[in-house]
Amino acid sequence: MTSQLFAYKRETGQWGLRNHVLILPLHSALASSARAIADASDGAVAISHDWSGEVDNDLPRILFTLTGYAANPNNYAVVFLSIGTPNEKQIIAGAQSLGLTRFTTLSLPEIGSMEKLQEKAISVANEYMKGAAAEKRIAAPWSAIVLGLECGGSDALSGITANPALGVASDRLVELGATSVLGETTEILGAEHLLAARAIDPEVGKKIVAMVARYEASINYEGIDIRGAQPSRGNIEGGLSTLEEKSLGAAKKAGNAPFTGVLEFGEKPLVPGLYFMDTPGHDIEQLAGFGAGHINIVVFTSGRGTPTGSAIMPTIKVSTNTPMFESIPDLIDLDAGTIADGVETLAQVGDRIFDEILEVANGKQTKAELGGHHEFSLSRMYNTVV
Amino acid sequence: MSASIKAFAHGNRGVGIRNHQLILPSVICSTHVSRRIATEVGGVTFAHQHGCAIIGDDVAGIDNFFIALADHPNVNSVLVIALGCETIQGQELAAKLLESNESTQYRIIQESGGVEGTVAAGVKAAKELNAAFPPATLETTSLRIGIDKGREVSVISELQKLLQGVGHEVIISESQSSSADSFSRLAQEKAHIIISFPDENQPTSGFPLMPVINVASDGVLHQAIRADFDIDESAILNDILALIDSVASGTQTVAEKNNSGEIRAPRVVRSV
Repeated sequence: MTSQLFAYKRETGQWGLRNHVLILPLHSALASSARAIADASDGAVAISHDWSGEVDNDLPRILFTLTGYAANPNNYAVVFLSIGTPNEKQIIAGAQSLGLTRFTTLSLPEIGSMEKLQEKAISVANEYMKGAAAEKRIAAPWSAIVLGLECGGSDALSGITANPALGVASDRLVELGATSVLGETTEILGAEHLLAARAIDPEVGKKIVAMVARYEASINYEGIDIRGAQPSRGNIEGGLSTLEEKSLGAAKKAGNAPFTGVLEFGEKPLVPGLYFMDTPGHDIEQLAGFGAGHINIVVFTSGRGTPTGSAIMPTIKVSTNTPMFESIPDLIDLDAGTIADGVETLAQVGDRIFDEILEVANGKQTKAELGGHHEFSLSRMYNTVV
Repeated sequence: MSASIKAFAHGNRGVGIRNHQLILPSVICSTHVSRRIATEVGGVTFAHQHGCAIIGDDVAGIDNFFIALADHPNVNSVLVIALGCETIQGQELAAKLLESNESTQYRIIQESGGVEGTVAAGVKAAKELNAAFPPATLETTSLRIGIDKGREVSVISELQKLLQGVGHEVIISESQSSSADSFSRLAQEKAHIIISFPDENQPTSGFPLMPVINVASDGVLHQAIRADFDIDESAILNDILALIDSVASGTQTVAEKNNSGEIRAPRVVRSV
């Protein structure tokens, strides 16, 4: 196979691995419309969320997430559905300053009704779709890849098969000059000292430890010991015993490369390398943070299997065990259970994941993309009950 | 007395004014599969971001919220769609629902052959539920009406008296900035219909299980999108009783026509 990457060059110098037209509702009341618009269009994608413009302690986090997500380099263009509030305008202006050049803001009050808004948005989206189809991929450097590392529904094989195999692929990419981002602070608890020891300098190491401590404190503040809630019941049924065991396995997704830096939730990495991003373990909130942080492709390992994906980032699913891969074939792209079966070595599966990343980056559709899985979820730090 | 309203007997859920089949995703990961099933069988569903990575009081809180939706009087039957490894376990949720209503089934993605297998199994189960629990109609005159008070409404007490005068029960929920939390509360209180007075800076919204009558203020935003509303506040005392009778008997509200309605489950702890 070819080992050349082809991608869409953006004016910011970033690269898109997809050329999506994203319908982005800036108010939850417009989320149903966004979905209807995407369904009726010639291939636009939409997200839905439950933010209704509330001004509370989570506002900065929500604005940051939606702004970064709109400007993700996998978006060719964005159609904003807006009520016209100052906070919505701030999201649009922020996305512009992050490099979003092609966008249209459709204002509900200017258009007059949700029905007319939908009609207008479909025609705007279809025009963008024509433009997106006309744009060609060009040869791109390895630095074009910004990979997100995710696991969900872990089992006892996660830390032995799929996660270390993904680590092999991640190490190869980082070595070639790409960027790789480990998330899920919940699942680093207990393993942070090992990650910190791999930091490029002591400062970065301290930041990793501090980020994990901050996370645990934010949970303890609620009067809850996370170690009683993690691993989840599904994880325990899958054979995991403690949070520390889960974390030691989860951290293997990041291979053995040195950590270049840490990222806040939804923050974009500025230079290539391996990073740690502070995200919840909630798979979909993590994906939202990755999208906001301009990650353009994700590998998602799973022991139990999940159908979920992202509207804008191709998400490659890797199973930790062969029985799961065989029982739910339309959810999983690659099987790493072959390592436990003695059929393949860790290095071989790592190479297979690497090859798949390249193929998917070059346009091959993942199972989640083929299934139309566009789950999205805003991450909140505070309660929603007043 | 209010005019007689055509309604549905929904067993222990009570008497409803819609005959909804709820396709209930127990976790965000099953919302897409749920939507495919609902689209194929004409059921209602909703996207949400809950069911997993929740801790503390939210585990019981979200579970109870889903139970309240499934037990809503406008619901005829419930199909729970689970992923399998989530915190809110679909089969346990379904078992709790079955304690009060037989018209409940569940399917689990991880045990049904994946997405396509679950869509096929779910469509089959939904059709079985519809066949086993056909609509049972009856007449009623008394409804439970939720009022979402998102702004100051000068006629609120007259409205309340008017509705109570014809035999309706009235529950008023004051919403903070948007109507979403208020709708969730009113759903848990088993309101049949919501009369929503959104804040002047908020658009209209809906809720999957209950028709929402959106009442426009004379503010700039509301008058600019007047077509999304069902009635003006200035006309409410004259026209609301006839509108309620019409909506209760099956006429769709604008929000229902637009399929408008994202739910927001009440949360007390950050997600992990």
